[in-house]
Amino acid sequence: MQRTQATLLSLFLLLGAAGTAHAKPWWMRGIESNETDFLPPDVAFRVAARIDGSALKVRWVIADGYYLYKQKFEVKAESPDLLVSAPQLPAGVVKTDPYLGTQEIYTQQVEAVVPYTRIDAGAHPIQIKVTYQGCAEAGLCYPPITKVLFPNAQPALVAPNVPPYPWESIAITAGAFAFLLAGLVLRKGRKLDVPA
Amino acid sequence: MNTPGLRLLGAALVALLGIWAGLKAYSVRRAHEIPAVAVPAGVASAPNRSDGAASEAAVPHPLVPARLPDFSLRDLTGKSISISAWSGKSLVVNFWATWCAPCRREIPLLKTISAEWAGRDLKVVGIAVDYPDKVKDFAGRFKIDYPVLIGDQDALDVAAKFGMASPAFPFTVFTDRRGEVVALFLGELHRPQVDFILSEVQDLNQDRIQLPEARRAIAEGLQALAEKQAG
Repeated sequence: MQRTQATLLSLFLLLGAAGTAHAKPWWMRGIESNETDFLPPDVAFRVAARIDGSALKVRWVIADGYYLYKQKFEVKAESPDLLVSAPQLPAGVVKTDPYLGTQEIYTQQVEAVVPYTRIDAGAHPIQIKVTYQGCAEAGLCYPPITKVLFPNAQPALVAPNVPPYPWESIAITAGAFAFLLAGLVLRKGRKLDVPA
Repeated sequence: MNTPGLRLLGAALVALLGIWAGLKAYSVRRAHEIPAVAVPAGVASAPNRSDGAASEAAVPHPLVPARLPDFSLRDLTGKSISISAWSGKSLVVNFWATWCAPCRREIPLLKTISAEWAGRDLKVVGIAVDYPDKVKDFAGRFKIDYPVLIGDQDALDVAAKFGMASPAFPFTVFTDRRGEVVALFLGELHRPQVDFILSEVQDLNQDRIQLPEARRAIAEGLQALAEKQAG
C-alpha cells in the first residue's frame, strides 16, 4: 500500500512540474539561452480601448521594469466610416540615453484620448489600429507592435499590477485541493479498517 | 479489488481530475490572453515580420539550433556575404537595430572585443535588422570596424533560424570554431558576461571541455552574474 501511495505522489509531483514548465517565456527554455527573465511583449505591454462619449480611450498597462516611448504611439482608424484625431497623450518621463538621445517614456500605465467622428452613424463597428514600441530597463527592446482593437468590445484595463498569469495560481490551487480531497478519502478508508 | 483498494483508486482519480481541471483552466486562459485580432507590425521605424510578430502563441518557436545555420545577407556595400566566410572561427553574431538603445550601447563593447581578438580564431559579426541607409549612417558615425550584415525580412528569417522567430533586440549568438552554437544571450551584453562566455568558448576550442558541459557552465555562470548584479 505504501509503495502505491509513493508512486501516486511521484505522479502528482511530476504532473505539477510539467504544469509549471510552461510558465517560462518561450525563449528561456533551453540551456543554450540565458536565464534572464524578460516578458513576452503582450505581457510586458497590455492594451485595451473603450468608448467614452466622443472620444476613444486607449490604455496601456506596462509591467514593472518596462517602458513605452511616447513618440512611437500611433492610433489610426480601421473602420471605413471612422475618422480619428491624433492621440492626446500626457507628458511622459524624460529619459536621456547617451546613445539614443532624449526621449519621453511612460512606465506603469498611460491612457491616450483619441477624439473621433463617424461618417455614416454606425454602419460598421468601431475598429482602430494602434502601434506602440517599448523596452525593458534590463536592456532589451521589442520591435514596434501593431494591434487592431474593437473599443466597444473590450473592457478597459484597470489594475496596473495584475500578475502575468493569475490562472496559474488557480491551476495550482485546484491541484492542491484535489490532492487534499484524495487524502481525506484515504484517511476515511483507514478508519474503517481499524478493528473495533 | 478490496475496499481500501477501491478507495485508493477513487482518491487517485479525484486528484487527477482536479489537476487536469486546473491545468486545463490555465491553458485555456493562456490561449485567451493572446488577442485574436493581432495584426503584423511594421508601420513604424523598423522592418517587421509579416506573420504577427508580437503574438507569443501564434508563432511556433524552434529551439536554438545545435549548429550555426547557413545563411547569406548583404553587407554595408550591398555585397552578399555568406556566414560560412568565417568558417573555422568562433563567432559572436550580434543581432541589433539602430532604433534600439541597448543595441547602440553595446556597440563599443563589441568593437573592443573585435579589436582584442583581431588575428585570432574569433570574429564579431553584426546583423542589423533595419533599413540599410540608417545602418550605414550609424556604422559610419560609430566607426564600426567589424563586419556588419543588413536585412529586413531576410534578416528576420535568419533570426528565426536561431530560434528567435519573434525577436526582441539585441541578442547575441556565440559559436565555437566548429560552428556549434554555445550560447544565445538575450539582451544587452556587458563585459563580465562576454568574458565568461568567451572563456568557455576557448576551453571548447582547445578541447578542454565538451559542448554540453560548456553550455551548462555558461547557463550557471550567467545566472550567478545576474544574481550578483541584482544583489
